[in-house]
Order: sequence, then C-alpha cells, then structure tokens
Amino acid sequence: MANSKKYWKGLEQLNNDPKFLASSRNEFPEELPVDQFLGDKETLENSSTSRRDFLKYLGFGVAAASLAACESPVTKAIPYINKPEEITPGKANYYASTYYDGNDFAPILVKTREGRPIHVIGNKESKLTKGAINSRIAGSVLSLYDNNRLKNPLKNGKATDWKTVDAEITKALAEGKNIKILSSTLLSYSTKLALSKSAGEKVYDIQGNFKGVKIDTNFVEYDEISYSGMLDANKTTFNKRAIPTYNFEKAKTIVSVGADFMGNWLDTPMYLNDYAQTRKPDNDWMSKHFQFEANMSLSGTNADVRIPAKPSEYGVIVANIYKQLGGSVDAPAANANLESKIAAAVKALKDTKGSSIVICGSNNKNIQLIVNGINQLLDNYGKTINIVNHSNTKAGDDAKVNALVEEMSKGEVDVLFIYGVDPARSIGDKFVSALSKVKTSVSFATKENETSKLCTYVCPDNHALESWNEYNPVEGCFTLQQPTISPLFNTRQAQESFLKWSEEYKTVSYYQFIKEVWEDFIFPENGVLSLNFNEHWNKALHDGEICFEKPQAEALESTTAFVNATGISSIKIDGASFAGDFELELTQNASVGAGAGADNPWLQETPDPITKVTWDNYVTMHPSEMKERGYNTQLGEESPANLISITVNGKTIDSIPVVAQPGQAKGTIGIALGYGKVVGNMTEPTGKNAYPLVENKDGVVSYYVGAIIADVAGTYPIAATQTHQTVMGRDSVVRETTLATYKQGDKDAYNPEHKLATHENGKTVKKNIKEFDLWKAHPVENIGHRWGMSIDMNACIGCSTCITSCNSENNVPVVGKDEVRRGREMHWMRIDRYYSTDADIEDKSISGYRKMEDPADNPQVVHQPMMCQHCNHAGCETVCPVAATTHSNEGLNMMAYNRCIGTRYCANNCAYKVRRFNWFNYLAYDKFTEINPAQDDLGRMVLNPDVVVRARGVMEKCSMCVQRIQEGKLNAKKAGTKVQDGAIQTACSASCPTNAITFGDLNDTTSKINSEMNHNRAYRVIEEVGQQPNVYYLTKVRNLENNEA
Amino acid sequence: MHKEAAIREPLILGDDVTYTKISNDVLATIEGKTTKSWKVLMTIATIVGLWGVGNILYLIGVGIGTWGLNKTVGWAWDITNFVWWVGIGHAGTLISAVLLLFRQKWRMAINRPAEAMTIFAVFMAGLFPLIHMGRIWMAYWILPLPNTFGPMWVNFNSPLLWDVFAISTYLSVSLVFWYIGLIPDFATIRDRAKSPVPKLMYSLLSFGWSGNAKAWQRFEEVSLVLAGLATPLVFSVHSIVSMDFATSVIPGWHTTIFPPYFVAGAVFSGFAMVQTLMLIVRKVMHLEQYVTVKHIEYMNIVIIVTGSIVGVAYLTELFISWYSGVEYESYAFINRFSGPYAWAYWSMMTCNVISPHLFWFKKLRTNLAFTFFMSIIVNIGMWFERFVIIVTSVHRDYLPSSWSMFYPTWVDIGIFIGTLGLFSVFYLLFLRYFPVLAFNEVKSILKSSGEKYKNMSDEDFKKLHPVKK
Repeated sequence: MANSKKYWKGLEQLNNDPKFLASSRNEFPEELPVDQFLGDKETLENSSTSRRDFLKYLGFGVAAASLAACESPVTKAIPYINKPEEITPGKANYYASTYYDGNDFAPILVKTREGRPIHVIGNKESKLTKGAINSRIAGSVLSLYDNNRLKNPLKNGKATDWKTVDAEITKALAEGKNIKILSSTLLSYSTKLALSKSAGEKVYDIQGNFKGVKIDTNFVEYDEISYSGMLDANKTTFNKRAIPTYNFEKAKTIVSVGADFMGNWLDTPMYLNDYAQTRKPDNDWMSKHFQFEANMSLSGTNADVRIPAKPSEYGVIVANIYKQLGGSVDAPAANANLESKIAAAVKALKDTKGSSIVICGSNNKNIQLIVNGINQLLDNYGKTINIVNHSNTKAGDDAKVNALVEEMSKGEVDVLFIYGVDPARSIGDKFVSALSKVKTSVSFATKENETSKLCTYVCPDNHALESWNEYNPVEGCFTLQQPTISPLFNTRQAQESFLKWSEEYKTVSYYQFIKEVWEDFIFPENGVLSLNFNEHWNKALHDGEICFEKPQAEALESTTAFVNATGISSIKIDGASFAGDFELELTQNASVGAGAGADNPWLQETPDPITKVTWDNYVTMHPSEMKERGYNTQLGEESPANLISITVNGKTIDSIPVVAQPGQAKGTIGIALGYGKVVGNMTEPTGKNAYPLVENKDGVVSYYVGAIIADVAGTYPIAATQTHQTVMGRDSVVRETTLATYKQGDKDAYNPEHKLATHENGKTVKKNIKEFDLWKAHPVENIGHRWGMSIDMNACIGCSTCITSCNSENNVPVVGKDEVRRGREMHWMRIDRYYSTDADIEDKSISGYRKMEDPADNPQVVHQPMMCQHCNHAGCETVCPVAATTHSNEGLNMMAYNRCIGTRYCANNCAYKVRRFNWFNYLAYDKFTEINPAQDDLGRMVLNPDVVVRARGVMEKCSMCVQRIQEGKLNAKKAGTKVQDGAIQTACSASCPTNAITFGDLNDTTSKINSEMNHNRAYRVIEEVGQQPNVYYLTKVRNLENNEA
Repeated sequence: MHKEAAIREPLILGDDVTYTKISNDVLATIEGKTTKSWKVLMTIATIVGLWGVGNILYLIGVGIGTWGLNKTVGWAWDITNFVWWVGIGHAGTLISAVLLLFRQKWRMAINRPAEAMTIFAVFMAGLFPLIHMGRIWMAYWILPLPNTFGPMWVNFNSPLLWDVFAISTYLSVSLVFWYIGLIPDFATIRDRAKSPVPKLMYSLLSFGWSGNAKAWQRFEEVSLVLAGLATPLVFSVHSIVSMDFATSVIPGWHTTIFPPYFVAGAVFSGFAMVQTLMLIVRKVMHLEQYVTVKHIEYMNIVIIVTGSIVGVAYLTELFISWYSGVEYESYAFINRFSGPYAWAYWSMMTCNVISPHLFWFKKLRTNLAFTFFMSIIVNIGMWFERFVIIVTSVHRDYLPSSWSMFYPTWVDIGIFIGTLGLFSVFYLLFLRYFPVLAFNEVKSILKSSGEKYKNMSDEDFKKLHPVKK
C-alpha cells in the first residue's frame, strides 16, 4: 500500500488537504504573535495581549524574586576543582595515628570527613592499648579548631613572619654558647635527632647511633606530672631509668597505694582494657583489687576493697606489705584499721605470687624502691611487670630540671628552647624569674600559655592532627603519627623548625626526615617481616603501630639482674603526718588531666566521674569534716559551695570552693591540677592553677603536702550534673552482688525477676512482670533488625570517655557552667554515679529515706552509663501531641526534630530522664558565644556532617547513633551480606576502653548482644514500670566474700 | 384565724427596688462617666499586663531557658498556671449551667460576672500551653489540619492533644452561652443610650433583640440547651487536664483519682475566685442589694463541700501510695510531705484542707472580710496544689541521679503576674462596658408582693405616693 499513514491527525491530513500541507511545513501551524511583543511601539500598543503578558511577566518576576529570596546564598562552600582521589563527599576516611602530648599516649584512629578530622577513637588493632583512650584524647580533636591558637610566629609578643624568626634564631644559635632544650618527654627518635641536628649538633651528640643515644646535659626532659622518684628508684633497682610496662591482664591481685592507674597514673590507656579482662565474673578467676588512697579516685571507685589512707601513710603501708611478705625494712606500725586491711592484701598477694601487681603513686624514691622489692618478692617481674619492654612515655628528671633553672637564674643560658611544656605555669615563679635571665628564649606553644608570653620568640607548633611524627612508647614498639589536615594557620611543626635551623637538613621536610630515620634505625629492627622498606613503611603507616618482640633471653637476664637487694633494709620510712591542718594530695581530673583538657570546652563540660562537677577544680574533703567546719555538703543549683584558702609552704590559693567527697580519707583533702586556663573566648580562667602548691622534696616533685586552710567569706556556685548521691535503695536501678553470691549460681539471689501479684481463678498468683502488657507489642521481635545495647557494669569504670566521644559524634552543644548548674547540660549520655549508704535500705520510712540520702563514710561506688533506653513501650512516644517521637520498625525510639514543637511532655514522662531540651539557640545566643565552639566558623568545622545540629526549642536525645546504623546497613547492602555482628558501633561503644558497651542486633541470635541479653546478670533498669527498654545492664559483681566490706 | 406561710428571704434585698432601679443600678457604670478609681485600677492592670506581655515576648525571643526549668523538671510554673487558670474558669459555667438546670435562682445575681471570669480565665489558661512550647511558631501543628508535610498527623494518644480539644470546646461553648445571655441586656442599653456611638455599638451587639415574648421564649430554650451542653463540659475539661498527669508513668502523676479530684479542686478554686471578684464588685458598684450575704454564704458552702472533697482526695492519694506497695509511688508522697518541697505541700494542705472548715461557723461564712481573706487563701492553696503535683512529682522520680530542684526565674514570675494583670484588664473592661449583672433576668426574681404596703400606715403610703392635686 502506498498510503503508509495508519494514524492521522484529522481528515485534512488524511485527505492531503493543500491548506494543511502548506501549514505543515511550518514549525508552528498557527502564526505566533511574535511581532506583537517584539515589534515596535505601535504594534506593541495595538497588541491585544500586552496586558496579559505584562501580568505574566509580573507574576513570574514576583515568583522568581520571592523564590530567590527564600534561599540564602551559600558563600562558604567551594566545590573541588580537582577532587582528591581519596575523598568522596559523604564518606568518612579513617587514618591511623598516634596521640602523645607528653602525658597521655595512645594509638588512635582519626575520622575525617571531606578532609576535616572530626572524631578520634582508639586504634583497636593496637597491641599496646587495644584501642583504649581516655576522654582527653577523644576530645583532642576540638583543640585543632580552637580559634585562639597562635596563627603566626611571634617576636616579643608581636606577630612576625617565619623568615625573620628563622634568621634571628639561626643567628642566636650560632652565637650562643650555652644552648638548652627543655621539653616534655620525647618518645621520638626523629624529634631527638631533629633537635640535635638543628643546633649544629651542639644540643647533643647522637653519633649516628640510635641505640646508644648519649643524651647531653644540654637536653632536659621534664614531665609536668613528675615520676622522677619512681624513675630514680628503677635506675637503682634495674640500672634502667625507665617505667616498666604492667600486664594487668595476668594480675589476679592488684594492690595500689595511691596510684590511680585507671585515671591518671602513667600509661593509663595501656592498662584499662587488660584490667577489664580480669573483671569478668564468668571467667575462671576474677582479679581482686585493693586500693589504699586519700582522694577518691577512679581506681578507688572500682576497687573491690578501698581503704582510705593519708598520703603520709603510703610509705607505712608499702613498708608493712614488704615486711609481711618477708622483706626486711624498718616499717613503722600502721594504725589498727590499716593493719587488718594490709594483712588481707598481703594474704591475697601471697596466694597469687607471680600473678599480682603492687604499685604506688608516690614520687618518693625510697617508697618506690620498696614497691620494687615487693614485686620482686612476689616474683612479678617478667610475668606481670616487664622492665625489659619498658615504657618510654615518662623520662623527666626533676634534678636536671632544678639544675637547669639554677643555671638559667645565674644567666648562664644563652638560648633556651621550650617544647611541649608550660614551666611558667607548672614550676611557677622560680622559673619565671630564671627565664628573664635567658638571652633568647623560644617557645613552640600551639596556644599562648604562661611561658610563651615570656619568651622572645614563639614558633607555634602544628596541632598534633596536622603533624608527622614517630614514637617509641614502649621498647620494641613504634607508632606513627600522620597529619589528617593541612596546617590551618601559619604554623610550623617544631621539628620542622629545628631542621630549618640546622645546617645539614635545611631543605629536608620532617616527613622525609622521619622516613629516613625509620629506614635507618627502625626498619632494620624488623627482622621478621620480609618486606621491602616501602611496603613496610606503608604497612606501618596504615596500621599506625608496629611491635617487635624483644628476645626472651634479655628479659630473663634483666629479671635475674635484680636479685641483689638494693639497700631496702636500710630505708627508714617516716610515717609522721605532714604539718598543717590537712594532708593535701594533688591529683588530676579524668577529663582535664595535667592541663591538656583545661582549655577544651568539651572536656570542661565532661563531668568529673566521681564528684560529677564540671567547669571547676575544687578542694575535696570528707563530708563529716566539712560539717564540723560548717561547710555546705549538698551542692545544688542554688546551694553553692563554701570557699576556703589553702596555704602550702607559704604559697596560697586565695579562694577555692570545697566539695564533699565521701570516702576521702579523714584528715586529707585533694585538689586537681591542670586547671586555671582560659577556655574559648572567656575572660576569666576556669578553676585555679594548683601547681604552685606542689612541693619539691629531696630534689623531686611531691604531690603530697601539708596544707593550712582558712575560711574565706562568700560562696561559690558549683555546676554538677548530678546532685543526689545515693540510689535510695532502689535495687531495680542498680544491681550489684558479690562474687561469692554470684558463684553460688542462684539468680534470684542477685538478679531476681520482678513478680506481680494477680488473680487467677480466684487465687492470688505471682507472675513475671514480662507477662503484663498494656500495649500491643511492636512488631520487631524476630523481624528484621532490633537494635539494642548492653552495658556491663563490671567492665564500666566510669572514665567518661564515652561522654566526650558521644558529644563529638552527635554535635552535642556546649552550654557552659551556668547552664550546667541549672541542670541543663545537653549530654546525650551520662554516667550516673551512686555511692552506697550506711543506712538500712530496707527501712522505707520517712526517717529511713532521709538517712539513705547520706552516702557512707567510705562508700562503694557504682558507675552506670545512662542514655536513651529506646523503650519498646516508651512513655515519651505516647504523650507527644504531634508524634515527633516515634518507634522505628528496628526497635529504635526516634526523634523527628523538624516535627517537634517543644512541649517537653516527653521529657517529663521519661522515666530515665535522658531527654535534653534546647533551651536556647546555642548556635547564636550571646550567652554561649564565649564557650560554645560551634558559634565560630572554625569551631563549627568539628561538627559531624551526618548529624543535624538541633534548633532552639526542640527535644533531643540519644539516637543510638542512627547515622552509623544507617551507614552500616548500607555497607552491608553494598557488600551483599547481612549486617555482621560488631560491624556497627555507636560512638560510646567504639570509644569504651574496657568494651563495657555492646551494641548490636537483638534479633541476631548469634550476636554478642543477644547472648548478653539472655545472660543471668542481665536486667533492665526499672523494668517493673513496663516500658521494655532495649538497653540491658549486667549486674555488677564485686570480688568480695559475703561478709567482707 | 388565718396563717400565712413563712416567706423566704427575698433574693433581692431592700424595699425600694423597682425594675427601673435595677436597670439604673446595673447600668450606672456603663451610662455614667468613667470613675477615677476605675482609671487608676485600669492603669495598674495595664502596666502589669504589659509587663507580662513583655516577659512573654522575651521568652519567645530568647527561649524557654529564660524560665527556671531543667532536664528533670520540664514543666513548672507554666503548667501550674495553666491548670490554675483553667480551674478558676470552672465556676462560671458551673453556676450558669448546672445551677440553671437545678433551677437555683440565686445564681442570677452572680452568673454573669462569674461567666466573664470564666472566659477571661480560660484566655489566660490557654496562653500557657502556647507559650510553653519551644517553638510556638509551630503551634498550629497540634491541630489535626490536613497538610502537605507528608504523612504527618497529630497523635491522638497524647493527652496534650485532648487538652486542645477540651479547652477549645469549653471556651467556645462558654463564650456562646455568655454572649446569648448578654443579648437582652445589650438591647436594654441600646434602648436607653442617648449618644449615637454607644447606641450603634450596643445595637450591633444586641443583634436586633426586640424583646417580644417569642424572643424571650427562644432565649429561654437556647439557654436550657446550652446549659445542657455546657454541663458535661464542666466535668470533662478538668478531667482531661488531669489526664495530662494521670496517663503518665511518673509517680505522683500516675494516679487514677485525678479526674474527680481535679474537678472538685477546680470548682473549689473557681468559687473562691468568684468570691474575690464579687466582694469587690458589689461594694464598688453598690450592688449589695442584688449580691447579698446570702449569695456569699451559699458560695462559701460550696467551698466547704468542694474543699472537703479535695481534702479526701489528698488523703486518699496518701493512703493509696502506701497501700500500693510501690516503692516509687510511696516515696513520691513521702517526698511530697517531707522532702525539699514540704513547705509547698503544707501550704497547700493548710490553705485547701484546713482553712475552708472555718466556714462551718455561720458567723465566719457570713463575714465578708473573712470571706474575702479566705478566698485569697484558697486561691493560693490551689496554686500550690498544682505546683505540688507537677514539680514535686517530677523533681524526684525514678533515677536518683537526675533528681533536682526547680527555682523560678523572674520571667516565670513575671509572666504569672502579667496574666493576673491581663485578666484584670479584661475584667475591668467588662465591668465598664458590659452589664455586670444579668439584670433582665434579675428582674424576674424581684418580689412584687403587696406585703410592704399591707403593713404600711396610710401616712407612710401617702408620703411614698403623694397624690397630685
């Protein structure tokens, strides 16, 4: 058929109408009125559609203008011109690195997003720490974005450029005869070499030999928290001025005398995970931990037996233990109470010879010698204590520091480099006046500090997250630190500066330098692996840590070398109390430490694990002694602390608040060091610098001093996140038992199920609470995922790392002291701390309850992490009028911030009080400008882009890191597998140094969480209320006999 | 020998009362010049009210953090004030609707001012749930409005949503009821008005009321129907408000006794507030003949009865908290009367439970000064009742780690005082421009017997009605 047209538009087309054919050649079959609106004035005026067009244009114009006005212009986002290969927007990169600030050491993993480091966790692959960090390390990422960091080199306090500084310092080095370096303990061979190369080998002679480093007297290492006495003792005992490594994993008995090894003693992150392994009551054995101490420390709160003792008694305790173990020492008699506890400790030690650890926090050489003697008698060396693969993290020598200060004050030092320490603050006036006699002083502070203010030059160092380095924390182990971002400011890594000032390495970058050092010195050690250097280097950089086992022969040799008694029998221990009203033990807070966290708003707002006080240091005193003196022991929003002044050796802190600390040894007080720095843009320093109270005893620094106190008029508001001290006998909140009871195996004795009486067939029967249900169950049991969490209260030590980590992950705003005092901290997770009481908890009368409010004199302590319990029958969900909080089909209690209108009904009806309300616009309101880092452009860079920043007036709470769950599910989907158990970690579970927090899928019968949920120790907090939480707690078990205190 | 039955004491006192006098007395404030005392009171009330408005604007501008609330105590003065004002708003409808159904004619002298009080109190009450929201600009989300936000709908499980319905229904029915009652009175004012502007205004307000018999018949019918509608609302509103607490899991809130207990408390506080207002109004506006000691005494009797119910409820709560054997419940109540807020609890007990029983003495319940004093005491007590329920329950609930105290800020206090000011502004405007008594209804209870004339001597009669010569 010629006619191929099957379809036609009309009869005209079918019939090939000529008119149609003519018009079909045109694009538009009808004439368009183009001339009418594009024509000349006349046609325009005559146009019939001009008014309509005008209205169209007007309408379009208004719509376009208003649309354009709706969206504020984005000016700060600049797209990549060339996208870096490794960066995919929306995907996080993790880099293995190392944290070391002279005080804390830990291999870490840095999470970066779009090139910005935003989160720090421990490196779980690390053999040294097994992934443990502390809250200071978790919070360190914020200090990178501190707007008050030095942004340029300074000369006499004025900004200058690197060229000037380099020229002048090089000149000073050439002219100077006596060049000294005062630095924190340097773990890094490259750093030491760089320092030496810089000053034309003047600083010290390395002889190109990495093993036999001969440290010249010009080089002074200084630990702000001194372990000099212990190092000296070890020098005497082992002929090695080093700190041993402790293997707590094998320690069946731990006796600590004033050493807070879980909070702030030596290499804490290396101990925590090992310690937690020994606290599992289901294992064959559980460690028994005795803690003699004055202040209530984290270790004390976790000890099975905690014995309050004065610092002056530490020596007596140690000597008596030594004597009772068969050693010969002149030990003064301990008082009766101590005597019985010492005997108990000694008995436990004797029973576990070769698998115990005795440590002491004293910086007194003699006491440490006796401790070494004890461990030797107990046969612990080579078993639980390793002096061969010793730790290098502390090497400071107080005698050398004193000598340097002496030399400086005589005007004999020409050039002084100060790296990693702030001696003007920690040594004080003595150093300040000596520094004024030094011709040229150079500080490498990242942020202005008390020393840098006095220095001729400040050559600001990079932040650790902007720097390369290599560390040798423990003999045989090396770790690498790699930058995760380019320097934000015009700063230069100190080592780089040193190289710049050297003759030989002027043009070498520190990265190249490290690589060379690594190749020359560290790579040859690597006898086992058959990799070439580049492969080795890449593996080391990827893993962040590389460890070589030391030959066993050397280890044995070292332990036998110690057999000769080191004159312990001639030591005289002076058990006399210190002069003054109280014995003061200077300590450190878990989140501020020696000062690293003192200017970090996250860490200031992380409450002290024991007192729960934020944003201040204070004197801790026993409540009964406070009552005798008429001080307020019960802090609150409108119940401020009393002030006192403290005088030690003529040095006075004018006024400092007193806070009650149950369990504080009577006759003693404690103050945390490290405070007194200015946080953020605040004008006043936070807390008081207590370093001036430190005493120099026999050439070493002592943190145990006699103090005179006096009342000061006025009161001082204290911001504590928890003001009630005891659990009021509520055993469905906290469950604890003794190992003896637990081992008997009767679950009802330690973790009874809740029973409810009900009527059935006219009879009263008791039925399990789980059988009563007002609501229909959510269809999540055994369908899909059901996320849940379990928290082992035996493993949780209360360190608060999870709090800081959660803040970092979830963009939790910092609200400052005044708001915390008002009970408005925004923390999504908290750690509840309860003291035991001496009152009868069965006496539920008015007076009984009143007595229960008072903690015991020396209470047992429970740490209970608390966050949203993701109840299956959540109180919050039913009461929200706009359904802003709902249940997900994976068992999560969700919060739709956008929908929330802020009635706070959900928070009122939350039995766990975990919901947090945005009382203000923390991002803009001027009350928070000084303290909330998210108010400045730089500080905002730390925000996690996966988590929305909440607006004013909405409720927020723990989401169980739903963004991570989503990511984990997507990864599994891409990989085509099920979500593997352990693949998803919440911020808290990932950061927990003791793995106390387990997150997982309750529906996955093979998961760890599933087995913990069905564990005999598992219970849910206030389960009888019937909200069916998805968070399980494992009953705390103390290693005690039933009649033992 | 014939015996006359004892005659009830008349509801309107005085021999000289005539229909004209009633109109004149009631309308004196409307038709007369603005008095100085009114101006002074209005100025004070306006200043206080504006202070409150300023505080509210500050609150909305800065955030809920300007109140003293914290992570543990999420509601305090806001919801206390809300429940307090709603409670006060109970008396009006109770008087006008329930007493109408029971044919209690004495209500006629007080129902208008009581209803006005109800409406203004509910205005004040409604303010608090709005301003207590973190994001008041999203307040319309609590209404079940069809929307394009996606599948977003209100949560019908939430008692807060029930509140929205309960309060708005109550307010609209009360408003209509009140206004219908006002129509004949507005018409009278219209008819008497001399200058054009008021005449126009009142003729608009009176909806063209003609006053014919059919109109009156319909008026009565509508009143009865509305009374029938309003009566269940009297009980539902506060029952539902109480469910905000009763349906929660918080010990001290989670109490099934709440609905009747709250209703009784509301009537209790409502009558006290009527007393406070009426004692002033009758004095200042010279309405002693209409609002008599008898009325005051009746209302005091209601206060004794409801006060006793409230007292029983308090004691029942205490008993049940012990009898339940629930640790948290019993502690909540032990804490109430012996904890840090014991002073609030005992203030409440004294004001609400002990003091009303003084009204058993006739001398006291007919003493106006004492009644006024007591009405203030009861209002204070009822404010504390709500504070005690809300704050002392939630400040120490399940986990002792979160226990805290609540301290009000000046914004908390300022807004509460401001609502007193705003309420007074509304009330003063009502007194000045609206007929304060339902005088057309009052006329229906005016006794027009010849008793007076029967006992009158001729002389006196002639004096009273001089015959024109």
